[in-house]
Amino acid sequence: MTTREQDGAPSAPRPPLLELRQVTVDYQSRRGSVPAVRGVDLTVDAGQTLGLAGESGCGKSTLAMSVLRLLPRSAQLGGDVLLDGENVRDMSWGRLRAVRWASASVVFQGAMHALNPVRPIGEQIAEPLRLHRSTTPGAVRARVNELLDQVELPVARSTAYPHELSGGQRQRVMIAMALACSPRLIIADEPTTALDVIVQAQILDLLSRLVTERELGLLMISHDLSVLAACCERLAVMYQGRIVEEGPSTDVVRTPTHPHSIALAAAFPTVGDPASRLVTPRDTTPDTPPLLEARGVSVTFPGRGGTTTRAVSDASLTVHPDEIVALVGQSGSGKTTLARTLLGLQQPTAGEVRFEGHRLPRSARALRAYRRQAQLVLQDPTGALNPRHSVYEAVAEGLRIHRIPGDETAAVADALNQAELRPPEEFFTALPHELSGGQRQRVVIAGALALRPRLLIADEPVASLDASVRGEILALLLRLRVDLGLSTLVITHDLGLAWNIADRVIVMYQGRIVEEGTVEQVLLDPRHDYTRTLLAAVPEPLTGRAAATPNTTDPTRQEPTDDPTEVTGV
Amino acid sequence: MTTPTSTRALTWQRRGRALRTGWRSFRAQRGALAGLAVLLTIVALAVLAPVLTDESQLGIINTMSNPALAPPSGEFWLGTDENGRSVLLLTWWGARVSLLVGLAATLLSVFIGTFVGIVSAHFGGWLSAVLLRFTDFFLVLPSLVLAIALSTVLSRGVGTIVLAIGLTAWPTTARLVRAQTLTVQARPYIERSTALGAGHGHLIAKHILPGVLPLVFANTTLAVASAVIAESTLSFLGLGDPTQISWGSMLKFAMDSGAVTNGAWWYLLPPGLGIVCVVLSFTLCGRGLETVLNPRLRGR
Repeated sequence: MTTREQDGAPSAPRPPLLELRQVTVDYQSRRGSVPAVRGVDLTVDAGQTLGLAGESGCGKSTLAMSVLRLLPRSAQLGGDVLLDGENVRDMSWGRLRAVRWASASVVFQGAMHALNPVRPIGEQIAEPLRLHRSTTPGAVRARVNELLDQVELPVARSTAYPHELSGGQRQRVMIAMALACSPRLIIADEPTTALDVIVQAQILDLLSRLVTERELGLLMISHDLSVLAACCERLAVMYQGRIVEEGPSTDVVRTPTHPHSIALAAAFPTVGDPASRLVTPRDTTPDTPPLLEARGVSVTFPGRGGTTTRAVSDASLTVHPDEIVALVGQSGSGKTTLARTLLGLQQPTAGEVRFEGHRLPRSARALRAYRRQAQLVLQDPTGALNPRHSVYEAVAEGLRIHRIPGDETAAVADALNQAELRPPEEFFTALPHELSGGQRQRVVIAGALALRPRLLIADEPVASLDASVRGEILALLLRLRVDLGLSTLVITHDLGLAWNIADRVIVMYQGRIVEEGTVEQVLLDPRHDYTRTLLAAVPEPLTGRAAATPNTTDPTRQEPTDDPTEVTGV
Repeated sequence: MTTPTSTRALTWQRRGRALRTGWRSFRAQRGALAGLAVLLTIVALAVLAPVLTDESQLGIINTMSNPALAPPSGEFWLGTDENGRSVLLLTWWGARVSLLVGLAATLLSVFIGTFVGIVSAHFGGWLSAVLLRFTDFFLVLPSLVLAIALSTVLSRGVGTIVLAIGLTAWPTTARLVRAQTLTVQARPYIERSTALGAGHGHLIAKHILPGVLPLVFANTTLAVASAVIAESTLSFLGLGDPTQISWGSMLKFAMDSGAVTNGAWWYLLPPGLGIVCVVLSFTLCGRGLETVLNPRLRGR
């Protein structure tokens, strides 16, 4: 395994590890050729880290896959992809196989799907070794153990199956697989997307350490500028198939020049930066009686073999009228279960939920009346809308369920207006797949608003949306509070989101509420150890962003109502 | 300002467009188109039989003068049976019963299957457990034996055969619908609808049934084929209505009258080919529909 590292004799001007020259990729479809990448130049050298940022559909993954010619057959590659000075396009099939994994390897996004569920992970890490080197079984085992050690997994775990590992551990396995043949270039495609903040920080640390220790070149792809900034020296921002900005990470993040980079940078706020706080801080909680109150709520699920899983234990919280509360915790902390309990979609095993002082009924019929008061906004707007129903039907659904009298069309138009889908009539007949992600989330919100609720419970409302849309949806939530006096409970793993819009923060850890207070108290002066861990795990704060940079305002939107500063002023 | 009626009209326009797109991709498949053409021809002929042919020639009394078991000739294109009846006429009229029983039995089994499948998947709990065991019971029961038992116990007739086939064919549909319902139910839009206050009726009518129906529809066309075969089998075994001519009963009479030993191929071949044609064209149409509804199957 050390042969490769040693035989790299230092010869005179070596070509860069990876060089892309005017790379284009077109997808052939029945509707003609669709350009995904249009003329990209990039270089990565040994020991260098390059971050490629962009929103979904900007062509960043296509570009990464073109390096190893892993593109589907319908894709047409143009330009030059030079790997160690050798053009990937001219490689024979055999040469390409040798180059894949031995010179460059990929850490795929979604470790659960990229691993074979029916084989132990040790076997899977050994697979590239067996394919690329004829070594003895003993040597393979030794190498697998060494790799597991490098990614900080206990060697004993090599016999584990993917489902027995946590998301972070699976991602480590993916990295071990990528390192197996000691490649000099690693392409990491959204390596931390499905992970929560704490695990994300660990994986990023691991990648950074491997790059420095082993002189690797790293091309990292992400939609999250803060992740890239924490891990990469240089950043390239991709937009509609082109690189629109490239430079040292700090420059791109602090003083972005292209409007799209500005929007991307703004979407990942810095906790503690007053500029990214979209609400005027309030010192005290309003002394009105609480709108929603949970007292000692516990939820347990029966597990296999008579065991029980306690998802929520003894949680108490309040949401006051005209207030935005953020419920923060990492995945598995029980925050979604608690939200479902607050909505009456899940019965608590102990404790009670009160709305305006009245205990939530248990019968389905009585709960229907409550559903008009409290509404849900789900994480993934694509899944939350029936693909067969038009926007009109989706928004009118609640009205029809509750048989609300009056002009249905006017009510639907009204709700769409409030969700800022204007003019509403143009959206009536649209189907969800014809809309963008942000528009879909607006339809979901409009569907909730049509019932004129007093409380909105939003479960990760922006987590599956693109960075530039994020700010718009948050501004909408804030404006709804101002215009309609709507209270919102936002459930999120994202502390930046809490800093953006919340009045108060509730931190949840392992089913318990560990800290509660105003945003300034909790995020700037955390008391509980877990809150500190969470805050520390947020990728390197992008502090010192130039004051001249318009924050969170997306410059591509011209409507004056979209300026969040206006909202905060109200 | 758009009024509700025009919204509805636009929705129907959209559905019409979707239907046309579906038809276009159905039309692109040659096999499916051929199946549909054959099927439509057979159905048209079967429906128009009383108009185009002389029903009286089916009665044995009117055909006494004709030669028995005569090979095909200018007068009798497909020869005659042991009673001197035209085999062409018998095959023509036999299509009526075979198609009627096939369609009716399929409708019955698909109805039961869809109901059991949706109810067991949607409600869960003990109801689902009971329904599933019930389905399993029917699934392992040899359906032909059950159908024979049913048609011997009940009075002989077309209705009995429909009932016998319908009651034995539904478990596969139920399993299929249950699986599809479970998939649809896991979608977040079901949760959104529940949070909006939807009850079971709304969920099933607005979200689950529309999500399951395309699959059921494709399954139905495939099920008709097996129902036609089941009808022929039961009639061949002599469990059908003796007064009605079907392809299965024709084969039975052919066997009984010694057509096989006499080498009267013209008596055996037409009903057999009729069954093959109908089953094949239903299968081709069903596969075509499946491909239209599930674009992933295209090009395979």
